[in-house]
Amino acid sequence: MSEETDGAMSGTDPESSAPESSAPESSAHSTGLQIKDLTIRFGGNTAVDSADFAAPLGRVTGLIGPNGAGKTTTFNACSGLLRPSQGEIRLFGKDITGRPPAARAQLGLGRTFQRMDLFDSLTVEQNIALGREAGLARSHPLKQLLSTPAEMRAVRAATEEVIELCGLRALRHEIAGSLSTGQRRLVDLGRVLAGDFQMLLLDEPSSGLDTAETEKFGEIVTRVVAQRGCGVLLVEHDMGLVMSVCDYLYVLDFGQMIFEGTPAEVRASSAVRAAYLGSEAA
Amino acid sequence: MRGVCTVNDLLPFLVVGVTTGSVYGLAAMGLVLTYKTSGIFNFAHGSIAAVSAFVYYDLRTLRGLPWPVALGVAVIVVPPLIALLMERVTRSLAAGTVATKIVATIGLQLIVMSALLAGYGGAALDFPGFLPTRTVTVIGVNVGIDQLTSAIVAAACALGFFAFFRLSAMGVRMRAVVDNPDLLELSGTSAFAVRSRAWLIGCWFAAASGVLLAPQLGLDVLLLTLLVVQAYGAAAVGLFSSLPLTYAGGLLIGVLAALATKWVSHSETFAGLPPAMPFVVLFAVLLLVGRGRLAEIGGHRPAPASKPLMSRASARITAVVAVLLAAGVPLVAASKLPVYSSALVFVLIFASLHLLVRTSGQVSLAHAALVAVGSSTFSHLVVGAGLPWLLAVLLAGVVAVPVGMLVAIPAIRLSGLYLALATFGLGLLLERAVYGTSWMFGATNTLPAPRPALFESDEAFYYVLLAFAVAGSLLIALVGRSRLGRLLRAMADSPTTLSTLGLGVNVTRVTVFAISAFVAGVAGALYASQGRSATGAPFLSYTSLTWLTVLVLCAGLRAAGPSLAAVLVAVVPAYLTDGTLAQALPVLFGFGALLVALYEARAAKRRGSGQPLDELDAPQGSRSGERLGVPGPAAQRLTVARRARVARSAPARVRVGTGLAKGATR
Ligand SMILES: Nc1ncnc2c1ncn2[C@@H]1O[C@H](COP(=O)(O)OP(=O)(O)OP(=O)(O)O)[C@@H](O)[C@H]1O
Ligand SMILES: [Mg+2]
Repeated sequence: MSEETDGAMSGTDPESSAPESSAPESSAHSTGLQIKDLTIRFGGNTAVDSADFAAPLGRVTGLIGPNGAGKTTTFNACSGLLRPSQGEIRLFGKDITGRPPAARAQLGLGRTFQRMDLFDSLTVEQNIALGREAGLARSHPLKQLLSTPAEMRAVRAATEEVIELCGLRALRHEIAGSLSTGQRRLVDLGRVLAGDFQMLLLDEPSSGLDTAETEKFGEIVTRVVAQRGCGVLLVEHDMGLVMSVCDYLYVLDFGQMIFEGTPAEVRASSAVRAAYLGSEAA
Repeated sequence: MRGVCTVNDLLPFLVVGVTTGSVYGLAAMGLVLTYKTSGIFNFAHGSIAAVSAFVYYDLRTLRGLPWPVALGVAVIVVPPLIALLMERVTRSLAAGTVATKIVATIGLQLIVMSALLAGYGGAALDFPGFLPTRTVTVIGVNVGIDQLTSAIVAAACALGFFAFFRLSAMGVRMRAVVDNPDLLELSGTSAFAVRSRAWLIGCWFAAASGVLLAPQLGLDVLLLTLLVVQAYGAAAVGLFSSLPLTYAGGLLIGVLAALATKWVSHSETFAGLPPAMPFVVLFAVLLLVGRGRLAEIGGHRPAPASKPLMSRASARITAVVAVLLAAGVPLVAASKLPVYSSALVFVLIFASLHLLVRTSGQVSLAHAALVAVGSSTFSHLVVGAGLPWLLAVLLAGVVAVPVGMLVAIPAIRLSGLYLALATFGLGLLLERAVYGTSWMFGATNTLPAPRPALFESDEAFYYVLLAFAVAGSLLIALVGRSRLGRLLRAMADSPTTLSTLGLGVNVTRVTVFAISAFVAGVAGALYASQGRSATGAPFLSYTSLTWLTVLVLCAGLRAAGPSLAAVLVAVVPAYLTDGTLAQALPVLFGFGALLVALYEARAAKRRGSGQPLDELDAPQGSRSGERLGVPGPAAQRLTVARRARVARSAPARVRVGTGLAKGATR
């Protein structure tokens, strides 16, 4: 109750001056997303407790931990839906801690939602196209109103590419609200892939997918990272998937970063096993 | 403001303020109690007050029963029946979206209000008071015994209720639910008991405030129905949550209104301020209080909409046929031509509302005010400034734009219920405080509004209006198919997601309000020109409520909805030769909207979709670590419990229904 400030996130979007598509110098760029001393409290409950991590470009970084560990909360803070109580968030070297969600996305940060927050009344194709179109419209009244033919071509091309990539051809004209959970996951992923994002936050993208779909999802992620050189921060419960696609892992438990290392190191860690077993026993 | 006032100068106003404020407080407590326990904000709360006042009037004056009997029936016997009905209706609405619920209770209000108007007429009747009207002197101020008594009765009810709330087992359970509405879901068997008791108390309070206020106001349907709208202001002071603060808010509003009366008694310009006081308070609270504190409860996300009923090609053909039919109207219905002319204006009005409400999912209850701004501006421009007719019409639209953007300010901070309330408050504020000033219609409330010289005749002007209706509808249709239209439909589903994709959604919101306001302003100018005079009378704030219900009623027709709505509002009444039937038409609109809302809620429930709003990953509140509507540790536990529940029942969705707040101009 002590903080009365909510201007930065609820107020009007400041015209973001950062060009989204300018080729940034590789040194600052390769840093990707960096979080320092991130703390988020809900009343008395500390959901994330001075966590530090980095998700560089060109790699898949995993963020794992038992239920309620604070993974989604971390994502919300990164994408600007929550204001951290303390700490700093940097994207490609820029401090974005106080920026509204749209400004962060315009800088190249995209995300999916654990609950697959689709545009339920629109078709699959429209959902995916909006992933690109929202970024083109930005916060500019005229750009929001009208699109240039070149932009429309770019949107169409991105949509086609993603529909192909995610294997959504058969579903493209279905209303998103009528899809199954697995299909919704893919649409949510496709939507963010259609956007012009260099850093992707994926929140439990495989939950609700069957084994074959999960495998395919893993392929998609690896392919996108290889092709675009973007960075991925992946929250995931499916350990098989995590171990196969992630280059580096962070383990969160009760809001605290209890371990970090390569998949092999994490598998060998007794602290991580204790955290998972402990949470299952409880 | 005005020199030095001694306490003694202010005392009479304070006393008057406290006496009426006490009754407002009572009504507001009933409103908040039912809102917190049922998750449904009852726009028809004022209608309950009106019903009880009229029951009393009917029994006492028309049937000559002794006053204690009439009073007993009106405030003790009737409210439980209403409570039963309300509990039943609101239970059926539980799975609906916020918009569904708003429309449903507005429909109820329309039913009651129009039924009373049809039954007893619109003129203020003499309310047969039952309290002595002698005055006594309280701290040096003369007060009527009746006023004093009603204040004391209201205060006693409030105190009695607080005692019940603190001490009895049921009261304690109710308090737990009011503090944290999620608990009702968990408390299983007692949910019905808590909710029905809450409705009972809420209805009793509303009824009591009705008979207590009627002696001072006279028995006027509109005044009574909208006067308990004062309760909105009081409820806002309690942040739609705290009951004691709500009662205090009632007192505050009573006192502020009384003081405002004193301060503006010398000023022409601000004469409208005292009656607008509650809305000033409502608007201020909604705008200034951090939205993390305004917890919206019981909201559900819009359910998926179905594919359009008509293909694009057949929709085009239908539109062309409709225009051709409209062009032939002067040949076949010459005697009723003015009726059709105003229907054409209503096509524009409904098209602009459609863009706002259905395409982009914003609830706006200030639309009539925008039309009124267009009307009055047009007259000022064409008569006052001598501008050419066409230019004046278009500029009237332009002037409405900033007003529309003003309405958009609450839309940036608020959504759902609170947006609806803020816009309603703004509409009322404009109506009461600005319509009567020289900025708008002036004290006489009528301004001249000519037609263009070449199109003086009804017939010629009809075709001018047809051209505007077609152009306006095309504009709205084009917007619907532009990038903005796509963004708006997505925004109706999930603004948060859209912002994480890089869209500045606040800009989108302001833009849609601006476009809608422009079309509404032009419509206002045309309406004035058609009637050859600009007046605020057809654009009172409750008109906005009627428009919304009628639009929702025609929702199934998608893009053709605005045209049908225009026919329903403007043409149908003219063919109802029976006066009572014409008066009762809004009752049917209300019923229709209520039925549509109930149907939507049932469809959502059957689908098992319509996740509660707070099931989103994305918190909507922006305060540090505080998510909209889920404060406190109990809520956190709940979040976990619920998450497990949601995970188990993976949403299986079927494609049906129309989706109340959904895009339709696809
Ligand atoms: N808006 C909120 N208000 C209060 N507490 C919250 C809120 N959001 C999350 N929490 C709490 O913060 C903690 C972390 O939640 P979070 O959703 O981040 O977990 P998670 O790691 O994503 O878990 P899961 O694997 O189940 O998705 C939990 O204890 C949760 O109850
Ligand atoms: Mg999570």
